[in-house]
Amino acid sequence: MASASKAARIGEEVWKSRVDKVNAELVTLTYGTIVAQLCKDYESDYVEVNKQLEKMGYNIGLRLIEDYLAKSNTMRRCTNFKETADMISKVGFKIFLNITPTITNWTSDSKQFSLIFDENPLADFVELPDDGRAQDELWYSNIFCGVLRGALEMAQMQVEAHFISDILRGNDSTEMRITLIRYIDDEMPMEDD
Amino acid sequence: MSYYFAIIGTSDNPIFEYEFGTAKAGGDGVPRFPEQARHMNQFIVNASLDNVEDVQWGGGQMYLKKIDRYYNNYISAFITGSNTKFLLLHHPTTPSTTSTRASTSIPANPTSPQTEEAIKQFFVEVYENWLKTVMNPFYTQGMRIDSPVFRGRVAAAGRKYL
Amino acid sequence: MASSQPIKSPMGSQSQNQRSSQQGLKYPSNGKTIYHRPLNRSRTQELSQASFAYLFGEMVSYAQKRVTGIQDLEKRLNNQGHPIGLKLLDLLLYREPARSQTRPLHIIALLQFITTTLWRHLFSRPADALEKSSNPDTPEEYMISDNEPLVNQYISVPKEMNQLNCAAYVAGIVEGCCDGAGFPAKVTAHSVGKGEEGELWPGKTVFLVKFQDEVVEREAFLGR
Repeated sequence: MASASKAARIGEEVWKSRVDKVNAELVTLTYGTIVAQLCKDYESDYVEVNKQLEKMGYNIGLRLIEDYLAKSNTMRRCTNFKETADMISKVGFKIFLNITPTITNWTSDSKQFSLIFDENPLADFVELPDDGRAQDELWYSNIFCGVLRGALEMAQMQVEAHFISDILRGNDSTEMRITLIRYIDDEMPMEDD
Repeated sequence: MSYYFAIIGTSDNPIFEYEFGTAKAGGDGVPRFPEQARHMNQFIVNASLDNVEDVQWGGGQMYLKKIDRYYNNYISAFITGSNTKFLLLHHPTTPSTTSTRASTSIPANPTSPQTEEAIKQFFVEVYENWLKTVMNPFYTQGMRIDSPVFRGRVAAAGRKYL
Repeated sequence: MASSQPIKSPMGSQSQNQRSSQQGLKYPSNGKTIYHRPLNRSRTQELSQASFAYLFGEMVSYAQKRVTGIQDLEKRLNNQGHPIGLKLLDLLLYREPARSQTRPLHIIALLQFITTTLWRHLFSRPADALEKSSNPDTPEEYMISDNEPLVNQYISVPKEMNQLNCAAYVAGIVEGCCDGAGFPAKVTAHSVGKGEEGELWPGKTVFLVKFQDEVVEREAFLGR
């Protein structure tokens, strides 16, 4: 797909030349301490922890979109959701985390797709607590869902994102499902007459 | 030779324990501690912690070799950067069959250089696996290690080197 | 592409009342666990500074909501850095080449490990300076200087909080290293660059490392 390879090239080029880098383990360990702290604060109420992670991600997404637009130099808006998906995977994730999750499982109306993470730097070294619940209830990387929701909202798309599998839970892959609910540009404020 | 291996935390708290027997020189890997000795193992190992403390400030290496002896029990130690101690109690069992290899083998010679080296290799392999446990954000210092995968790794290291 | 269904291991299909911690963790069908992953795989991997900045910013915002006051916030950041210091102490020692794989036995050895190995790993450069307090009343104090701490680069502190130093997080990491190595200490971060006209490093931060008495005594006993 033309937009996919173009996106890949943009992502690669930006990563190489326009991104200030930092040791990955610093980020991994920082995220680890955030999740561990949340689990402690909410006394292992993992449902609540998931919510908090999503919220944090949302806050990040609202700010990150500007950074993304500035770095990727794409003033042109994506013409369809499929193009958006390519940009998210090959540019968005690439320039922040140097990964390019695979896009798959499109629905026939092209409004829903999956991202499969072969690599997840936030989850390096991690093993969920063996308390009989964490693996059933916690989505360790839930912050990603919030980031996408926030960033895409600022780009005039209302989306819903959630994980459906995670290798930390013993599944065979880490997969996130993203659904486009609607484009937001209908909501123009009424002109004062 | 029967082995009792323990990981002791910074508050002298046991984090992990594992008993095994030698797999070398025809051993079957099953520990053969006399019943009353098994209870003693924990005490002996704990008592040797003082010796660890004496030795650890004398040199910067992690492998401290043999640091204590209690009758026929020899204790070797390895200490990590964060003061977690790996202690291996080795107890040679009287050989029931004579084998020409027995006289130089690890199970029969708790203090030979080969044994010292084998124990070091055992410690180093456990150390690597212990580090992987420690790097988990959900693992806090001093927690017991209950992972059956970790236990399997320690067992494998025991079979490989001892 | 075939859709991937979350595949539960055989244990997962057992009835609900068998869910106890004795059942143990579930692993993917390829059996890969954290024990399979080589420790050095991510040693030189890099991510964007921005991702660190965003995460750290959220960490601070979240902490702010749960504390009363700046000192409390700094203490919380310190506490969050502490276990990281412990982990990095062991990890980085493990990665040292065999000849220099020695546990620090003296204060200077420990501080050199921190200002070079630790700093280089986290920030790709050594710390800018290491000094011992020249005040005879406080011989147990040392100062590590960083002209441009990464953690402060992206945080814009609101005016009413201008005493806050987010480098309290790094101070916590340093403290974790010191405590872990057997040199209990208290480490705090202090901004020293602000206020002066034409100051070369406005973000300069000094980490004050205050070792406990027992450490000083042992140093003397060991003869250095």
